[in-house]
Amino acid sequence: MEVRPVLALRDVRYRYADAEREAIAGVSLTVSAGEWVGVIGPTNAGKSTLCYLAMGLAPHFFGGRLRGELTVFGVDTRRQKVAERSTRVGLLFQNPFTQLSGARERVSEEVAFGPEWHGLPADEVAVRVGEALRLVDLEALAERHPLDLSGGQLQRLALASLLVMRPELLLLDEPTSQLDPAGTNALLQVLAGLHRSGTTIVMVEQKLEAVAALCPRVVALADGRVIADGPPEAVFADPAVEESTGLPAYARLAKAAGLPPPWPVTVEAAEKAFHRA
Amino acid sequence: MARGLSLYVEGDSPLHRAHPFTKGVLTLSAIAVAFIAPSWAWVVGIGLLVICLQLIAGVFRRFLVVAITLLAPITVLLLIVQGLVNPANRTVVVPAGGFSLYREGLLIALLTAARLVDLIAATFLFSFATRPQDLAEALIQKGLSPRIGYVVQSALQIIPQTLEMVSRIQDAQRARGLETEGRLLTRARAFIPLLLPVVLSSLVATQERAMALDVRGFGLPGARRQRYVLPDSVGQRVLRWALVALVPAAVVSRILGWR
Repeated sequence: MEVRPVLALRDVRYRYADAEREAIAGVSLTVSAGEWVGVIGPTNAGKSTLCYLAMGLAPHFFGGRLRGELTVFGVDTRRQKVAERSTRVGLLFQNPFTQLSGARERVSEEVAFGPEWHGLPADEVAVRVGEALRLVDLEALAERHPLDLSGGQLQRLALASLLVMRPELLLLDEPTSQLDPAGTNALLQVLAGLHRSGTTIVMVEQKLEAVAALCPRVVALADGRVIADGPPEAVFADPAVEESTGLPAYARLAKAAGLPPPWPVTVEAAEKAFHRA
Repeated sequence: MARGLSLYVEGDSPLHRAHPFTKGVLTLSAIAVAFIAPSWAWVVGIGLLVICLQLIAGVFRRFLVVAITLLAPITVLLLIVQGLVNPANRTVVVPAGGFSLYREGLLIALLTAARLVDLIAATFLFSFATRPQDLAEALIQKGLSPRIGYVVQSALQIIPQTLEMVSRIQDAQRARGLETEGRLLTRARAFIPLLLPVVLSSLVATQERAMALDVRGFGLPGARRQRYVLPDSVGQRVLRWALVALVPAAVVSRILGWR
């Protein structure tokens, strides 16, 4: 029996309204259930747009012109509104503050915002809120005002607000860009736990070391096209990726030390490579 | 970060537990009757009633701060202006040549000040004892669009956040050498370079928030689940109608000259 991919793009092209060039210029890729895909690339490569397409914000929110085939869980994104998709797909943005509803005074109420709009019964909402707060380790702050939380805690709150809907696919658009190192580590640990329990994750990230360490598959974009797709070691050995995006620190060190490609991209691999050398 | 514009004070008094509509009708009736009613007895009676309710709700001290900082200077100003130049002035109370204060003007000033006290006291009683979320939820349960209810609830949190953003942009511009203090002309000139970043940042933040709400299912058609039950008894409903009935009663009283 053929297993349907979670996310499937076939020759997808997308141009924002009033834009001169296509933000996505012929991308074909599939993501299967349970994968954790890191998406990297320079500015204006189309990374965020890829997330917006998968969520349906492009074209439903932004307008613009979408061509090609794009399905999420087998459903054409053009045929399903963003809010309707929110029970299976979640999208976490960069800015923790603008993801707050601004209409709730407690962390637990903030997390309950989405299920309320979906009309879920009160007892089920309570169970889901507890579950979501446990997943992101914010149970102890359930009664706090959201604006009393740190940036890292707010981003985990935003994640909990998505997890409460039990999404099967999580899209993350540079989730750690506004977090300090401690907040970044805490968030990435939560994501690692979600992946272990079966959630499919597509993560746009500029922190190449995190991508290399956590994502078994990396997709590199440039100018709206896929330039590399595969395991991190193979992707970062591609000269086109090095030129457009750069290399993780360990790979740069190994390259500078004269080691041959593929260079190590994690601390464990670097340790082995340098011991061998 | 600023939490919000709400004046709500946490509490568990009978006022806090009352339905938001009961508190709203009480406030509006008190204000209407205070301004319509023909005599001191009504105005002072309403003021005393509202202050008693503030004491029950445990918010009287907060109102006292407002009364001293806001109402006291206004009252003094009224007394001076009305006492000096009201056309009905006849009886000198404080002789001071051309600046004598007259009884008629002073009494009118005091009545106006008492009405303002009733207005402010009733409004603040409502604000201190009513959680904005409860008011929005009550309105939604009575048929207000949940989207509009959300706008009402979120404005109170988002406005102070926007003001903090303005302050941060101001600091950033100052660090680049922009003068934002001093003479009026200097401050006016500083307005232009602040305006564009504030507007752009606000637009970006609004767009991001709208996307985040969409992603969480905001605005899904169909029944939005009632968040919680707001207790509302038959007694409260009767009380609301009685409070509403006070307004035409005050009008009739004024027309017939009852005191």
